[in-house]
Amino acid sequence: MTILELDSVSKTYGSQVVSKEISMRIEPGTIHGLLGPNGAGKTTLLRMMATITKPDSGHICFLGEPLVDVHAHQMGYMPEERGLYKRMSVVDQLLFFAEIRGLSRSEAQGEIRQWMHRLQMTDWINSSSTQGIKNRVKQSKKLEELSKGMAQKLQFLCTIIHKPKLLILDEPFSGFDPVNADLIRDIILDLKNQGTAVVFSTHRMDNIESLCDDITLINQGAPLFQGKTMEVRRSQFAGHYDLAIDEDQVEPEAPQRWLQHSRLVRAFKNPEGNWVHRFQCDAEFSSQHLLKLGSEAGRIVHFAEHIPSIHDIFVQSVQSQNHE
Amino acid sequence: MNKIGIIFRREYLSRIRNKSFIVMTLIGPFLLALFYGGMIWVGTEAVNSTEDGGPKKVTITGQYPGLTSVGPSESFAFQNTGNDLESTKALLNEGSIDVILDIQDLGQGSLDSVTAYSTQSLSLRQERELRSHLELQLHRNQLQSMGLDPLALDSLRQGVELHCQTLSDTGDAQNSATTLKSGVGFVMAFLIYLFIFLYGSMVMRGALEEKTNRIVEVIISSVRPFELMMGKILGVAAVGLTQFLVWIAMGAGLITGLSRFFGPQMQQGLQNTQSMQGSGSQALQTSISLWDQFHSLPFGKIIFVFVLFFLGGYLLYSSLFAAIGAAASQDTDVQSFMLPVSLPLVFGLLIAQASVIQAPHGSLATWFSYIPLTSPIVMVVRSPFDVSWLEIAGSAILLYSTFIAMVYLAAKIYRIGLLKYGKKPTWKDLYLWIRQSN
Repeated sequence: MTILELDSVSKTYGSQVVSKEISMRIEPGTIHGLLGPNGAGKTTLLRMMATITKPDSGHICFLGEPLVDVHAHQMGYMPEERGLYKRMSVVDQLLFFAEIRGLSRSEAQGEIRQWMHRLQMTDWINSSSTQGIKNRVKQSKKLEELSKGMAQKLQFLCTIIHKPKLLILDEPFSGFDPVNADLIRDIILDLKNQGTAVVFSTHRMDNIESLCDDITLINQGAPLFQGKTMEVRRSQFAGHYDLAIDEDQVEPEAPQRWLQHSRLVRAFKNPEGNWVHRFQCDAEFSSQHLLKLGSEAGRIVHFAEHIPSIHDIFVQSVQSQNHE
Repeated sequence: MNKIGIIFRREYLSRIRNKSFIVMTLIGPFLLALFYGGMIWVGTEAVNSTEDGGPKKVTITGQYPGLTSVGPSESFAFQNTGNDLESTKALLNEGSIDVILDIQDLGQGSLDSVTAYSTQSLSLRQERELRSHLELQLHRNQLQSMGLDPLALDSLRQGVELHCQTLSDTGDAQNSATTLKSGVGFVMAFLIYLFIFLYGSMVMRGALEEKTNRIVEVIISSVRPFELMMGKILGVAAVGLTQFLVWIAMGAGLITGLSRFFGPQMQQGLQNTQSMQGSGSQALQTSISLWDQFHSLPFGKIIFVFVLFFLGGYLLYSSLFAAIGAAASQDTDVQSFMLPVSLPLVFGLLIAQASVIQAPHGSLATWFSYIPLTSPIVMVVRSPFDVSWLEIAGSAILLYSTFIAMVYLAAKIYRIGLLKYGKKPTWKDLYLWIRQSN
């Protein structure tokens, strides 16, 4: 069953429309990436999903039921601006967040023990205490004693401690060093494999392509593209093909000839040091024609269709819409 | 445990575990005692300081038949040299005298034409003393001129001790004890005032801190803003009550300890005094009378009204303070909202001082004891003065109804304000937030 379904959701603050007729479905065991430039309305959309604010029009359903406050127990929400109680101990914070999300104290204590071990946070509590988590509460570190990275890890743990069915993360990787970012990424993938639905916003395109099953690109509050990550990329395929010839076995005049070719889009050096020529193919000038052209010029070391990256789609779409 | 309970527990435990709370709870009463002790000392010192250097020398110039010679007063010694004003001014500038009192006979029998010259301004108390002393002298001189002996007339005056009693419906007479009732009422009202400001601002700072820490967005994804606000208000109230209880226990312990230690000696001292002066001692009579009056107070009713209005007032004001904390983005934003919200409370205290003592059942005192923003102060001050149960119930219903309405409005401001950062909100913004659906 679909975890979260948005149907023509709109939200306005004063005269500014921050979400315009947005629809999306988030399925269990999938990761949904929310993309958009600053001020596109990503946070507002995530807040509506997390029951913090309500849409002015449209409907949001959680597991088939109209979304209400009580569903928040089954969600984990981590806002972009992180914050915890400075003078509260690590374990106290975890217990507090687990309890307000419906876990009993004993359930929470079991989860805390397990997660702190996994996230290598056990040294944040005095290990000499062997009388159970309850007695460790007073001995665990306070937030103000933790580094920024450690506090980020704690914040993430507070979000997932109650085993939510839906995880809503606003820029989850910002502030993490590469090691901890990988750790969080692995946990997100684990949770996904266990059936948790994840929706997150990010500016990091590498995360989108490697993590997300589905994406929604929004600009000025309205969706530009939506769908499976690969399908979205494919939908933007413009018939471009990349061709690279071995530099040592190339007909001497071929590169110069290609630069004047009417179908050439651009030429650039790839990381291996070979010149790559990108051609526009269509019915008149097919990929077969291009392949033949290449093979006549020398030994082909690279020939592939150029499917635009999410980054390219993002930049081009947003720029063209903003120029309109 | 429900959400309000979880928030309540976090607020309560995190605050009472705080070192500053423990230190303040232990030394608070001593600081308060030191403060009041200091005030009394300063007051006493101010009176004593005027007596330093002996009475001021006053030279009378001019002519007025009724005041040719004036006897000394508490702070002034008078002399009449017969010199004119200009030559006496030279003496004032030299510092040989302190004040010149120039009295001109305008032939109207009035003292309006008296002028006091001094190099340093006279205090209000000295001005008052000079005026009343001259009036007394004039009065005595006029009596003498009529052939009457002022001292003989004074001796004819007799003091009257008025015992005020109030009659109940059953005809039982009870001591009115107006002074004591006023005192008890004021102490209770001041406690409420102190508690509301102290702990209401704690609620406000808590809301502001959660907002500036950005933790609030995480919390309100799981807890409704109303629950967060109520949990915070009740948690802080419990912190305040704990502090009060500790202070009461400390006070009771101190009194018990002192009475055990000094009790037998005091008892012996009292017996000695009685045997030396007899049972008619003025001080002893006053103490016994005060004790009787104290016992005659309707304590059950007073305590009930105190608790009822104490809670109602705290809940009403702390919900407003919480909304202010949620609306503000930083400490400086708070000031502009604090003044109008705290003004009715200060006004209540002024009404209690100005009106309740003069006429506890007058229309001004009665009306302000019904208005919810002032009733926690005014009704409590009125409560020892035989206020009817009907009035108390009506005022309490109004207070608690306003609290519920205010919590509803404050929760709306709280809900929206918590997520607003940066721009300082205006009153118009708050109004729009209240009108906004979510």
